[in-house]
Amino acid sequence: MQLCDHSAHELLDLLRSKQVSAEEIVQSSLQRIAAVDGRSGSLESGQETDQDRGTVHAFISVSAEQALEQAKTIDQQLARGEPVGPLAGIPFSAKDVFCVKDTYTTAASKILANFKAPYTSTAVERLQKQGAIMLGKVNMDEFTYGSSNESTAFQPCPRNPWDTSRVPGGSSGGSTSSVAAGEVPFSLGTDTAGSIRQPAAFCGVVGVKPTYGRVSRYGIIAFASSLDCPGPITRNVTDAALMLQAIAGADPRDSTAANVPVPDYLATLEQGVKGKRIGLSPDYFQISYMDAESGEIHQKPVQEDIRAAVYHAAEVLQRMGAEIIEDVPMPNTRYGIPAFFVISRVEAASNLHRYDGVKYGYRTPSAEDDLRVMYRKTRNEAFGLQPKLRILMGMYVSAAQYSEQYYNRALKVRALLRRDFDQIFDLQGKYRLDALLTPTTPTTTFPIGAIYGDSVLMQYADQFTVTANHAGIPGISLPGGIAADGLPIGVQLLGPDYSEHTLLQIGRSLEIGTQDEAWRSQKPAVLR
Amino acid sequence: MTDYEVVIGLETHIQLNTKTKIFCACKADSWDDEPNTNVCPVCTGLPGVLPVLNKAVVEKGVLLAKAMHSDIRMRSFFDRKNYFYPDLPKGYQISQYDLSLASGGYLDLPMPEGYTRRVTITKLHMEEDAGKTKNAGNLRLIDFNRCGVPLVEMVTGPDLRSANEAAQYLIRLRQLLRWLGISEADMEKGHLRCDANVSIRPKGSDQLFTKTEIKNVNSIDNVKNAIEHEVERQIREVEAGNRVYAWTLDWDEEKNELRKMRSKETEADYRYFREPDLLPLDLTQAWLDKILADFPELPLERKARFIFEYKLPEYDADILTGERNLSDYFESAVHLYAGDPKKVSNYLMNDILRMLNESGKTADQLKLTPAFLAEILKMVDAGQINTSTGKSLLEKVETSGKSPKSIVESEGLGLVSDDSAIRTVAEKIVAANPKEVETFRAGKETLIGWFTGQVMREMRGKADPKLATQILLELLKK
Repeated sequence: MQLCDHSAHELLDLLRSKQVSAEEIVQSSLQRIAAVDGRSGSLESGQETDQDRGTVHAFISVSAEQALEQAKTIDQQLARGEPVGPLAGIPFSAKDVFCVKDTYTTAASKILANFKAPYTSTAVERLQKQGAIMLGKVNMDEFTYGSSNESTAFQPCPRNPWDTSRVPGGSSGGSTSSVAAGEVPFSLGTDTAGSIRQPAAFCGVVGVKPTYGRVSRYGIIAFASSLDCPGPITRNVTDAALMLQAIAGADPRDSTAANVPVPDYLATLEQGVKGKRIGLSPDYFQISYMDAESGEIHQKPVQEDIRAAVYHAAEVLQRMGAEIIEDVPMPNTRYGIPAFFVISRVEAASNLHRYDGVKYGYRTPSAEDDLRVMYRKTRNEAFGLQPKLRILMGMYVSAAQYSEQYYNRALKVRALLRRDFDQIFDLQGKYRLDALLTPTTPTTTFPIGAIYGDSVLMQYADQFTVTANHAGIPGISLPGGIAADGLPIGVQLLGPDYSEHTLLQIGRSLEIGTQDEAWRSQKPAVLR
Repeated sequence: MTDYEVVIGLETHIQLNTKTKIFCACKADSWDDEPNTNVCPVCTGLPGVLPVLNKAVVEKGVLLAKAMHSDIRMRSFFDRKNYFYPDLPKGYQISQYDLSLASGGYLDLPMPEGYTRRVTITKLHMEEDAGKTKNAGNLRLIDFNRCGVPLVEMVTGPDLRSANEAAQYLIRLRQLLRWLGISEADMEKGHLRCDANVSIRPKGSDQLFTKTEIKNVNSIDNVKNAIEHEVERQIREVEAGNRVYAWTLDWDEEKNELRKMRSKETEADYRYFREPDLLPLDLTQAWLDKILADFPELPLERKARFIFEYKLPEYDADILTGERNLSDYFESAVHLYAGDPKKVSNYLMNDILRMLNESGKTADQLKLTPAFLAEILKMVDAGQINTSTGKSLLEKVETSGKSPKSIVESEGLGLVSDDSAIRTVAEKIVAANPKEVETFRAGKETLIGWFTGQVMREMRGKADPKLATQILLELLKK
């Protein structure tokens, strides 16, 4: 076990007791990156090599020098006995949608390949203010549009540390890969339909999608603004609590960031689950998907070992004092994906309007006098397939003659999804749940190339996670076991608005309750 | 020949005079600034940044809505209006669509001809302005300074029936905007922009016929002029058996003519949807009360009150309520003076308005305060100074900032009411003008005015004229 394999809270103890220096921590992370990451994604990637197929490719850019510089400063402060931030010396990576002043922020798209933001996103700024050290920017699906990371314009795309022939999930796949492979203990991701939780499940790490508005979106390149949630990706629940503590809270630069006080997440973390009411819903153990030809809705149960892992988690929690309530109805769950398809694409198409080659980013070299031609060529040459699909769909369903049928209807579905949750969390209601326990994903990670190209099927990987984005509620994905094929399984907890502290508390209990289980000691393939 | 009726609706964009822009902290007014100097990541649409609503914009919008008798929505929404243009950096404009700040409303226009035209308001919403595009040879230059400048878009129903009425609407709107202190409303500077929708129909019809839209008119005179041109053109077309097409027309001020910009047979699809980066705008009752706490009496109400309460002629009342400052000035001078309001009006209409015009000041900026004006009027009434001294004091007070009393004292402008001093001068005049004395004594008693004038001249206006007349009569009738 190397230094970089420690969790953040362990590293903080080691640093404060002067057993290690910040520089040693950063060096250890950089060595891990050198060992397992392989070459960083780039626009001119050339042929994929055998070596590429065995490495993780989490990073788009590594800022080693600045990171070491910051680490040295912290060490000097510590040596002089000066106070340092509560996260001093902890390395983190940030998904490449988080703008960081004077560094490239690409959104994994050719259109922003040369974009340097003149400002730093609130989440990154808050981590840095607490002394955490950004090691670099990590890869992702282009503009976060995907669940596998294969759509990045910066190839090779990230690979799953547990099996590098498989996807890490997405869109925060670079984030979860970098955390799972021990490159960093913290990573910032964003979650619009499951983009933190699904890759966290695929990579066997903890991913928190906070309540909408809990963490500021300022400085984050938007996908669907009404659904986007930045959040922590870590290796354990305590680290997630530490990280969320640092980034949560109101922000004068984001008026949708809520003015709700941030509780002390660590204070309640170890309080157990006695008396907590945790629900299981049959609607979260099957996926519903539409037949591409007939439009009929088919149902399919989730992978058996995933179902078993969730029930196992429920038993563990029950043993620890929680009350498990079964058969909780969540009837609108199946409409989550179709509604997401519409709402997210309308917002995405609009959010992509600003990339027009006029002000920054890519502009076609063959711009002619005609402005319209410049727009078309720029956008055609620099947007990948996924942004283009989203623009087409988004423009279609928001057009005056279709918006009633699609967009407005999707908004109604969204309200119904919210009502499902309101009913089960209602303190005076029938269920009075503290949390709903579900699988994070219907399957474990799939092989690279297996689904990419079928953007409808790909989307169904998010069926159990997207509901929280519609409803605005928090969700957390926790490691829940290892499937027979050796791949990680994620279990998800969903709770009412601003119940992150409860979800973390339940998650921590699950961690304690399963700490001696055999799967807990298994390591990702790249670390074996 | 058929008689035609003109149908006009006006779309106005009103630039609010807030210090900062609607969604960021950049300075809003860039009139004197170089291009692209009042910009930031928010108003230039860089990725990841977010709009934060400037509350002053809402407050000014509410004042306008109230003045237009609109229903103010306690919850309104911002929406995205999507379209591509280089000076629209986000590729969408943040505006309000179906649930805007206010709905309905009207403005009554008293026309000089004596009737009142009620103009309905069909749309009143807040939005951000776009930038400016300028072509320079092969280059297309963009100035983002104007991006994010707060606007209220206000649209009237097709209620105006002549170019004159359209002009009157703009005059009254401009007056109101300045009165409320929410916009400088200077059309030349683009603070108040107007597009006119113009159509004609046979008199008696209540149908709406195809309209054309006139854009880029930057003064009230030009709006009037352009509409008159367009009405004539449409009548010519219809009389010639042609139809009117839904063109967008550009007013060329130099050539004094309309140019066709584009045909507009279909409405553009802006794909409006709720702006997810902003929360719904909730006006609490407390906030609304605070905004409306000092809601002023409006110009037309004040005009009516001036006529009723101060017995002013309509002409005076109209001019004195042209600007809120001026009417406030008038009213406080009337109260301090406590004499005939018409006298105050005369001073304002004849002398003070000229001072304002010449200096470019507003009434509240005068050193000649209402209190000083009242002091002058009282001194004239009391015979301490004569009328012409009173008038000359206006300038002196304004230049020096000193009180009229102290000027009268230091410059010795007070009327001489010393019997012996006047008597000496009067005797001198009588002695020096035997012929006139003869004539007077022969019965032409109106010559007394001439004698008084001579005394006044001799005493450089400082004599109390009543006393002078009395002494002269005494001497002449001896």
